[in-house]
Amino acid sequence: MAVFALRRLLSAIPTLLIVTLIVFAMVKLLPGDPARLILGQEATPQALSELRRSLGLDRPLPQQYLSWLTSAARLDFGTSLTDHSSVGRLIAQKLPVTLELSLFAMLISLLISLPAGMISAVRRSTWVDRLLTLLALSGISLPNFFLGILLIYLFSIRLAWIPASGYTSLMENPGRNLLLLLLPAVTLGVGSAAVLTRYLRSSLSETLNQDYVRTAHAKGLAARQVISKHALKNALIPFLTAFGLQLGGLLGGAVITEQIFSIPGFGRLLVDAVFTRDLPVIQGVVLVSAVAVFLVSFLVDLGYAAVDPRIRYH
Amino acid sequence: MRRVHFLTAILSAALLTSLASAQTLTVGLDADPPKLDPALSTALVDRQVMNQIFDKLLDLDVNLKVIPALATSWKVTNGGLTYTFKIKSGVKFSDGTPLDAAAVKYGLDRNRTLEGSARKNELSSVKDVKVIDAQTVQLSLSQPYGPLLAVLTDRAGMIVSPTAARKAGTDFQNNPVGSGPFTFTSRVRQDNITLSANKNYWGGVPKIDKLVYRPFPDGDVRYANLLSGAVQAITPIDPKDVSKLTENAKFSVLNYPGIGFQGVWFNVTRAPFNNKNFRQAVAATIDREAIAKSIFYDTVTPAAGPFPPGTAAASSSIKVQKPDIALAKQKLGGKPLNFTLLTSPGSINTQMAQVYQAMFAQAGINAKIEQVEFGTLLDRADKQDYDALMLGWSGRPDPDGNIYDFFVTGGTNNQAGYSNKTVDSLLAKARAQNAMSARVATYNVALGTIINDTPYTWVYFQRNLVASVKGMVGLKPIPDGILRFKDVDLK
Amino acid sequence: MTTTLSKPPSAAKRRLPAPVRRFLGNKLAVIGIIVLVIFAGAALLARQVAPFDPAQIFFADLRAAPSAAHFFGADELGRDIFSRVVYGARVSLSAGLISVTLALVFGGSIGLIAGYIGGWLDDVLMRFVDALLSLPFLVLAIALAAILGPSLQNTMIAIAIVTAPAFARITRGEVLSQRERDYVQAAQALGAGDGRLIVRHLLPNISGALIVQTSLAIANAILAEASLSFLGLGIQPPTPSWGSMLNAARGYLTDAPWMALFPGLAIFLAVLAFNLIGDGLREALDPRSHKS
Repeated sequence: MAVFALRRLLSAIPTLLIVTLIVFAMVKLLPGDPARLILGQEATPQALSELRRSLGLDRPLPQQYLSWLTSAARLDFGTSLTDHSSVGRLIAQKLPVTLELSLFAMLISLLISLPAGMISAVRRSTWVDRLLTLLALSGISLPNFFLGILLIYLFSIRLAWIPASGYTSLMENPGRNLLLLLLPAVTLGVGSAAVLTRYLRSSLSETLNQDYVRTAHAKGLAARQVISKHALKNALIPFLTAFGLQLGGLLGGAVITEQIFSIPGFGRLLVDAVFTRDLPVIQGVVLVSAVAVFLVSFLVDLGYAAVDPRIRYH
Repeated sequence: MRRVHFLTAILSAALLTSLASAQTLTVGLDADPPKLDPALSTALVDRQVMNQIFDKLLDLDVNLKVIPALATSWKVTNGGLTYTFKIKSGVKFSDGTPLDAAAVKYGLDRNRTLEGSARKNELSSVKDVKVIDAQTVQLSLSQPYGPLLAVLTDRAGMIVSPTAARKAGTDFQNNPVGSGPFTFTSRVRQDNITLSANKNYWGGVPKIDKLVYRPFPDGDVRYANLLSGAVQAITPIDPKDVSKLTENAKFSVLNYPGIGFQGVWFNVTRAPFNNKNFRQAVAATIDREAIAKSIFYDTVTPAAGPFPPGTAAASSSIKVQKPDIALAKQKLGGKPLNFTLLTSPGSINTQMAQVYQAMFAQAGINAKIEQVEFGTLLDRADKQDYDALMLGWSGRPDPDGNIYDFFVTGGTNNQAGYSNKTVDSLLAKARAQNAMSARVATYNVALGTIINDTPYTWVYFQRNLVASVKGMVGLKPIPDGILRFKDVDLK
Repeated sequence: MTTTLSKPPSAAKRRLPAPVRRFLGNKLAVIGIIVLVIFAGAALLARQVAPFDPAQIFFADLRAAPSAAHFFGADELGRDIFSRVVYGARVSLSAGLISVTLALVFGGSIGLIAGYIGGWLDDVLMRFVDALLSLPFLVLAIALAAILGPSLQNTMIAIAIVTAPAFARITRGEVLSQRERDYVQAAQALGAGDGRLIVRHLLPNISGALIVQTSLAIANAILAEASLSFLGLGIQPPTPSWGSMLNAARGYLTDAPWMALFPGLAIFLAVLAFNLIGDGLREALDPRSHKS
């Protein structure tokens, strides 16, 4: 197993390097002069060239790439162009917010998809299944920004139960923190729930059709026991891997959700940085997202191989 | 006898604690101030916070008159080439070091020479700063510069603690030290900046103990936070929320004139707007009243020139053009006009661009809208790589700051690439004159030519919009839009 | 004797192929087709269907509620929302179709080459594809849209770039699994050249998976365009895009909630239609899901 893991890691490194190259190239291609953006309408040509020099924008590209990469490896992502604070510190401040939101969203997603997926698989092809399928497809089709706006309209404006926006940290006021994150988490979690419901339905119903399940039925085990003891456990593995792979989608969804609900998270950091051409922040955020998704899929791969020996001996 | 003492002690303790219960005022701004350093600051929102931390040599009153602040009096001699300021005695920075003429010299020199300083342009006429004695500073200019006093009422005149600045270098902005009514306590980027009352302030201890600034770029969120009580004051207010707040008994709204303007630049260095008739045609289609009413809910004033009403150089002889489609068509002379209108993102800009496009279309003028990031917009404006672009100016108290750099040949804000020798000499003349009435007359002559040439068309003057809870008193409506909290109290 | 199957002539005239019958029997899929036809009709016949010019400003009708004059109400500049939703269909559908077509052609080609030729080329290409797949969809799309600049064409390119890797992976997977099959070995033994092999034998057998993926990808592409426009990175004003209409509507939820309702519903229904169709195609083309 360790050998397998090591081999996979070594073969994954080139891909990771390509990711960093893509991130660096993307940001360098962004049009607009960051020095001009920082100095705004007060700039003089002299101030502009001074600033460009101090930002290191006049060095050759490969040199910029290498210095950026080696710093990033030490978790030094440079300094934000708009507010002069360390990008690493900005990310460290905002990432936990998005993580909390994502965890909350994943919890909601599980609460919805587990029962829905199970019922759908067990009652396959009945009207219940059709209804749940339609709901799941609706969940996938509903733009999360539309859902967010609908929720705000209903719960904040019409019913005035929850404030429309804002964020209080968990440390400061847990009650308010959870209240303010409720609508965003639902917004973010519904799409994920829909995808996972369908995934669980198809993998569970496949398992239910397998011979060993039929055998269990034939042996006289009660339906529920069959489902929970045998089918679910085996269907859960691909389900959990799909669950882990949702991370990429959640990060993307968080970008929009944080924008609507004014949550000072990771996704918001990216959008603001794109609009202000804050290159170091964009680079840092995209790189961290890519590495996070990469790590999760790597771990999922390992986990799958650990559980299913056939994969290891390809 | 002892019991009376005891009772008095308890009563006074109770009284003192109730008096000492911290008064915290939270203010909602539209952005997180990027740099709290008078030399490096380029964003206006920085000034809101810096005006509490730092004292300036001079300040402004509600009529935009220059009044004493750190400088108790001043003399302009030598044909406008020498300025001598008397500095208030006994002032200390919050780190205990004294604010004397040497400190003032340090501050001014720092603004003039620090690498990356954005104050170099406005202090370019200052040749030398000399300490005459502990309370007297003398500035020598290379040429007369009428706007100097007004310039010193803003960031260029803010005095920083030399000890703190020398030690911190460019990191000074993360821990700014001044002599103002409030001291910098802490900040969390994009969350809050916290200031505490300066107990040793020479102008009297502020009644507010803790002043917190919070950024809300989204106008709806800013408004919602005022309603919920998370903040006690906000500026600016989204135009659509102004009437709701005015009708709300819990809040008071200050709606007072500003010193800036907004409009459209025309690139005169290339087609199609190297043709004066085309520029005049486009300007003639704009219905300023309709814009003020529909997009801004009448919270802005239609504009015809660079000087807002209430400012020194405002002239009643310059009238706002009513839209004249027939005139526009006549100026076009039957020729087609297609161009791209450049603007930056934001819901107000987007609405404005679309309204302009519709108005131009009434005369058969075909404009395409292109939205680029603000920095890119400025970049392309510099390079004259555009046809027409939407850009305004936050304004300066002295009229020179609203006109000179915009229309003089090669001016740093002359985005049109406009060049007219007569205008150049008129603007330079006005800059060197000291009597305001003479300057206004000169500006009016120059504007006659500028308005006819239409390298820029003014559309509206933005007003300052501030909303606060009813209990907040003491805020003066000074047209530069800065909220000065040293005299403010929360009842 | 050819290796391709053909139906007896009499049967071909009387009955539709089995997958088509299965698809048409799926009620949800048919609803999807109907909704798609409605939107496509609106997009193609926009000028006839829309009562007003979508950019026309009516200062008298600012934020008007739905009425006989304005079916869906009017927006913050008094423009007719119904007309804007109809014209918005053009933007969304063309963004979806064009970007996915680009992704299919480029991604599919890469996957085909990688799977067919194999070896180090496969390795290199797939590493690049994996690298792109590591970047979260929307994060990458935002960055690309920011680089290329906001416009409909650039949005389509950005979405195409983000969607192509999935097509590459699927095509490669299908090619790999079909390559070892008997019919391919047989054709190769008979001396069939690569081109003939790919076009006449491989493509028809992998087209099923690609068709399903295309429909789902269009659904995602429409969502992506709406998201990018919502963030302000997509279509330029005054061309109406459902996403940018929703963005503008955010500030007016208390005063004019209809500004948000109708564009949002339009996005939802269009995406749902493609998802239903894709789902129906998958069930129709996949013999395993055929109930015994």
